Amino acid sequence: MVTVRGLRKRYGERVVVDGLDLTVAAGEIVGLVGANGAGKTTTVECIQGLRRPDAGSLRVLGYDPVTQAAQLRPSVGSQLQDSALPDRLRVAEALDLFATSRARDHDELLEQFGLAARRRSVFSSLSGGERQRLFLVLALLNRPRLVILDELTQGLDPAARRGVWAAVREVHAAGTTVLLVTHEMDEAEALCGRVVVMRAGRVLDAGTPADLVDRHARRATVRFSLPDPPALLLDELHRLDGVRHVARAGPQVTVDGDRRIIAHVGAALVRWGSVPEDLSVHVPDLEDALLSLLEPEPAAGAPAAVENEPVGGRS
Amino acid sequence: MNTTAGRLVWAELKLTTRDPLVLTFVFAFPVVTMLIIGGAFGTDPDPAFEGVNPAHWYVASYLTVVIAAAGLVMLPVHLASYRERGVLRRFAAAGFPRWSFAFAQLVVGLLTIVVACALLLAVAAPVYGIPAAHDWWRVAAALPLGAVAFVSLGVLLGSVLPSARSAQAVGLLIFFPSFLLGAGGPPPHVMGAAVRHVAGPLPLTLLTNAVRQPWLGLGPATGSLVAVAALAVVATLAAAYRTAL
Repeated sequence: MVTVRGLRKRYGERVVVDGLDLTVAAGEIVGLVGANGAGKTTTVECIQGLRRPDAGSLRVLGYDPVTQAAQLRPSVGSQLQDSALPDRLRVAEALDLFATSRARDHDELLEQFGLAARRRSVFSSLSGGERQRLFLVLALLNRPRLVILDELTQGLDPAARRGVWAAVREVHAAGTTVLLVTHEMDEAEALCGRVVVMRAGRVLDAGTPADLVDRHARRATVRFSLPDPPALLLDELHRLDGVRHVARAGPQVTVDGDRRIIAHVGAALVRWGSVPEDLSVHVPDLEDALLSLLEPEPAAGAPAAVENEPVGGRS
Repeated sequence: MNTTAGRLVWAELKLTTRDPLVLTFVFAFPVVTMLIIGGAFGTDPDPAFEGVNPAHWYVASYLTVVIAAAGLVMLPVHLASYRERGVLRRFAAAGFPRWSFAFAQLVVGLLTIVVACALLLAVAAPVYGIPAAHDWWRVAAALPLGAVAFVSLGVLLGSVLPSARSAQAVGLLIFFPSFLLGAGGPPPHVMGAAVRHVAGPLPLTLLTNAVRQPWLGLGPATGSLVAVAALAVVATLAAAYRTAL
């Protein structure tokens, strides 16, 4: 559905996309994530034919977005980052303006996305969530085969975000392929079957959210408090399978390691007859994986970070 | 109205009627100032006005004020605002050809000018009367040529200036001196030589001469008409180049 090979784009001297390869298969929801300036938006703009690449090849729905943009665009629905509609354009007028002969029923769409009561409202009077839902309606209006959504839920409150997510799931369930650019890792985790991580215009890694977490954030952290943790317990903890580090700060004990430590630490505490009431477990999510993936390489010879009151651990 | 460009023109026309800047600056401002200044000098033929009725002098002149207001203020602000807020990117992503927006602005600008000029004449008729055109075909040639020239200048400015605020600032900076020196201000005969020298080659002065002189029987103003035609061609080509028309 989307095949990008060796995409390169620069603005002046700044290389924004640097030899990027990307494939999106029919029926997928693919998330494009990465730090600001990673080249995500430029990539999707090239895919839509809004920017001309400096090098590389792109095929989108069988078309070249550079030379066949006119044929491509009717089959692509898009929600662009930092874009708007004319302030005084009414919701129903926006649908009339953007509709082609393949358009879905306007009333049905507005009803589906909770905008039926706002059909006579002008764009400037809509709330942030209503605007995003309207953009989604416009992106889906002409029965696109591919939908590109760039920062769809930026600035929305949690309830509005969930509403938009539900709409994206409905779109996907109806057979539409979705390419989603987002900074929200919970959004990528909730919606995307596959996530592509970009840095400095290149793909760092790609996979399902679970695969990425597994590859880049296998750790788990167990925290608990004991009034006076015995040294022998702490010693046992740091000898457990999978434990990398044990730290103590007053009564608080923190154990880091891979995910096996969750069971081992629990079992050790039971053996010692000390089952703390405040025991908590933090399992990394996609955001941790992304942070781990994007963290800069430490400079050669730089000292390792020192934890507060390190008790022990092994690498 | 079912083509892409047709739908865009229709939507833009509706939006124009809701735009307070258009309503005040293109429709109200020329009418109000024409009523004030037209009445300030009376209705008796006056040598300062080349021997014609001063009110008629201003009625003939103020049609070009409408054209300049639409071209130098309304369109640049509108277009720059759309570029600044990403409206044009949204249109492009939805499959609107790049030229269609410039085309829509051209059509909307010209239609706005026609309606605003009609309003101005409708208000002037019962108050000052509308002078008969001595050389109507030159007036009929100058008005559309001037409208095309200034609308194209507006599209050009809007495609170059980075924001609505900058477009408004630059537009007003060009409009008001042009308005005072070339159309709605004092007649050239009461200006000093230096001011007349500055005012003479201004596009709005040329357009006003090309409309007013043949209308009131003050001369053919062929040079001004040719200059306006040349400006229309150059501005249209430049605007088309900038907007990939």
